[in-house]
Amino acid sequence: MNGTIRLVGICLVSMLLSPQAFGEEPFGKLVGNVQVQPVTTTSPLLVPYITWGGDMATFYANGGLSTQSETIFHGQKLNLKLVPGDDFVQQVRNYMQGKTPFLRGTFRMIGMASEVIGSDPRTKGVVILQMTWSAGDHLVVRDRIKTVSDLKGAKLVLQTGGPHVGMLDDILKTAQLNWDDLSVIWAKDLTGSDDCPAELFKKRPEIDGCFVITPDMIGLCGGLQNVGTGAEGTVKGSRVLVSTAELSRSIADVYVCRKDFYDQNKDLVTRFVAGYLKAAEEVVDLKKQYESKGSTKYMELLQLTQQIYGKDVIPTLEEDAHGLLADCTFVGYPGNVAFFEDKNNLNGFEAFQKSALDLATSRGYAKVRQGLFPSGMAYESSAFLGYLTKTQVEKRERFRAEAVLQEIEELSAGGTLDEKTIYAFTIQFEPNQDTFSAVQYGTEYQRVVEMAGKYGNAVIAVRGHSDPTKTLLELVKAGMEKGILKRSGSPGNYIYSLDGKALDLAAIDTLAELIQGGAFDGVPDHNPREIYQAALNLSRERAEAVRASLLDYAKAKGLRIDSTQIQAVGVGIREPFIAKPSNMQEAQQNMRVEFRLMRVTAEVTQQSDFDF
Amino acid sequence: MPRLRPVFALFFTMMLMAHSTSYSAIDDHNVLIVLDASGSMSRNMEGSSMSKMDAAKLALIEAIQGLPDKTNIGILVFSASNISDDWIYPLGPIDSDKLIAAIHRPQPGGKTPLGAYIKKAADRLLERRKEQYGYGTYRLLVVTDGEADDRRDVDRFVPEVMARGITVDAIGLNMKSTHTLATQVHSYRSANQPDSLKKAIQEVFAEISGSGDDSTTEEAFALIQALPDEAATRAVQALASSGNHPIGEKPSVRPKDRIVREDREIHAEVQPQRSTNPIWVLVIVVVLVFTIARKTIMKR
Repeated sequence: MNGTIRLVGICLVSMLLSPQAFGEEPFGKLVGNVQVQPVTTTSPLLVPYITWGGDMATFYANGGLSTQSETIFHGQKLNLKLVPGDDFVQQVRNYMQGKTPFLRGTFRMIGMASEVIGSDPRTKGVVILQMTWSAGDHLVVRDRIKTVSDLKGAKLVLQTGGPHVGMLDDILKTAQLNWDDLSVIWAKDLTGSDDCPAELFKKRPEIDGCFVITPDMIGLCGGLQNVGTGAEGTVKGSRVLVSTAELSRSIADVYVCRKDFYDQNKDLVTRFVAGYLKAAEEVVDLKKQYESKGSTKYMELLQLTQQIYGKDVIPTLEEDAHGLLADCTFVGYPGNVAFFEDKNNLNGFEAFQKSALDLATSRGYAKVRQGLFPSGMAYESSAFLGYLTKTQVEKRERFRAEAVLQEIEELSAGGTLDEKTIYAFTIQFEPNQDTFSAVQYGTEYQRVVEMAGKYGNAVIAVRGHSDPTKTLLELVKAGMEKGILKRSGSPGNYIYSLDGKALDLAAIDTLAELIQGGAFDGVPDHNPREIYQAALNLSRERAEAVRASLLDYAKAKGLRIDSTQIQAVGVGIREPFIAKPSNMQEAQQNMRVEFRLMRVTAEVTQQSDFDF
Repeated sequence: MPRLRPVFALFFTMMLMAHSTSYSAIDDHNVLIVLDASGSMSRNMEGSSMSKMDAAKLALIEAIQGLPDKTNIGILVFSASNISDDWIYPLGPIDSDKLIAAIHRPQPGGKTPLGAYIKKAADRLLERRKEQYGYGTYRLLVVTDGEADDRRDVDRFVPEVMARGITVDAIGLNMKSTHTLATQVHSYRSANQPDSLKKAIQEVFAEISGSGDDSTTEEAFALIQALPDEAATRAVQALASSGNHPIGEKPSVRPKDRIVREDREIHAEVQPQRSTNPIWVLVIVVVLVFTIARKTIMKR
């Protein structure tokens, strides 16, 4: 499977970064003393690549490790030599020494190196290109972890360094936890050895969860939507809690260019970026063709990929090379414009820079915050607009709203909603409150908008709840009118009997049967079912009002949000905090709306060329 | 038989024009009317020159204006002499022209199979409730002038219909004695005049309201206090589990079971269970036995 793959890149990164490197040691120590030199050789220009699907577009554009004639890069008058860059520390050394002007990594890996490269004005980093988002990294947990809130006090295993550090950082932010709230076990390798997260998770039952790549995830629990049965090496009860399949704006793969080189060769750098984006457009189309009717050109790309990475890394074309590409999502030209230019993009350059530098300084990779520069490319120029074809891609609705709603309702009815919940939090109301102003709920709305952006392929169920007091009251009154329930005692000390027997715990089954059988129905002025139904409708209306108010909030703030990602549902009185409130304060705790970040099946999402 | 005068029809049509168009949302109200078109409906209403059938038609057409927005309506007629499809107006949004035309159509004749038709109407409402994920409101109005021919079915179905959360109202026209439905349904009104019939239908429609409120009184808390917490929980669960399967039938598969099964199916796709086929076991055993036997023979 694609599995062996992604790992190799990260594996190599990790091998070179000693286990204690990430999280314990400054990045500069790993790089050692290097002298900053200018970039002198530009033909061929060395360009690092790593083991990742996004790099397949680079291969496609170049036609091989050296630029071949009649390729995209050749057409862009570039002469490049692609060189392996899975050893990230060595990449940084080469970059500092002027062997190449480029760095290739995930945004947060670049963040780890930010202090080193930012210490000299010549080597400060300009992020010139976002290639992809990851969709193939997962947090698999045991069944005792229900939502990310349960990670408090949990023990997680992940590989030192690499993208999962940033992924965990994102997950902790979702749950409003920090690194001190859990204990981390650092594994040396990403996969395939005794000291990798999947193996440690299998061997040590006290470990609550592990960060793994797709093949290991399938090995542990059977698939994205599955629960491990314990058979065939799976871990019983284990399942995916969070995946970059949903947490789709967590791992951004990028190219960075030295500031001095960029300033002197802006045209060349622009042609490289435009060429890459052109290749991404074509690769996306070829992949679609391949999946529907087959494509010789795509097979050639898979072969080229295998040739470059070697058969050890890519044993098969259909599984491994194709799987490598399937584990990432291209962002294309529209994604780059959105990433670098859209100031309101909560997952754009500024936000990523902040989180990358926060992580680098808080985890000890850097002492000083050294910023990066955004690409600053003229995206409206003919270098892009006259050259690329998919520049006017409208951001489509990500989900089929109807299908999402159906899935949530079915999960809710089937009692399996919790298994698909990543995180949930609630807001409270006054009785009969029907306006939900941003002034009152701005903080919560902001959190939801941020979650929606970060978890681009998860949905947020806005679930309304109402209070059962009135329904219970009607039930009591109906029962009394029909003579099934009898009341004795005085106010404050009432006692009920059911069919002549005390209504105690022993009588509860009878009570349920009588209700189901209709014994409480047909009383003209007391219809508990109508009140139940009204409470259900009220809860949905309230959820709908909150949803509308949330969307208004985002709009007013100029924040991007996909309305299909947010769905309102009513729970009514089925899930009260307090089953039988004894005063208004308790009743009010039941009147609430809950935001539930949920994993949904791929079937309810709409496919698009680029994710941005 | 007096028919509605064209001028009447025109008047009501105009009144209804504003009230139409198509919508179908998950929070819709749903009203199903079971209309008696048995032979006796052709008789005039007491002290009136209008037949019960026409009075019912007139009252319905007029009352429909009073329906709240987002109401789906459906009319099921039994025993009409001139109609083969008893759904004269299938449950759906109000289209005034079609609705009025439909209400005009049935001509009385035949018997009073009330029980069967209450089930048919309720089953449709339950189907609709499933489509609306349980939201909205569900109401069944029976307009009749005679005793049911299938009383046993009435006795069997009506309590179940109500226990499924459908509100059942009945209006009896010129019923000499109290109708069998009177003691069973949520509301029973008898109407002896065209005007009282109109009023009765309007009252029923006025009851349609979607969502409740959260307000409660101290008295309410005091009254429910003596219920054990577990009883409150189970009571709500019991109310929530009425189901949308047809009346008189058992629920087929619970949703939870279905989802679990789907999960298993997905699992089976991803990781086929490699259970050993008994035939292979047999083949292996035979081969082993054969080999051992041969070796033993050769040794000898």
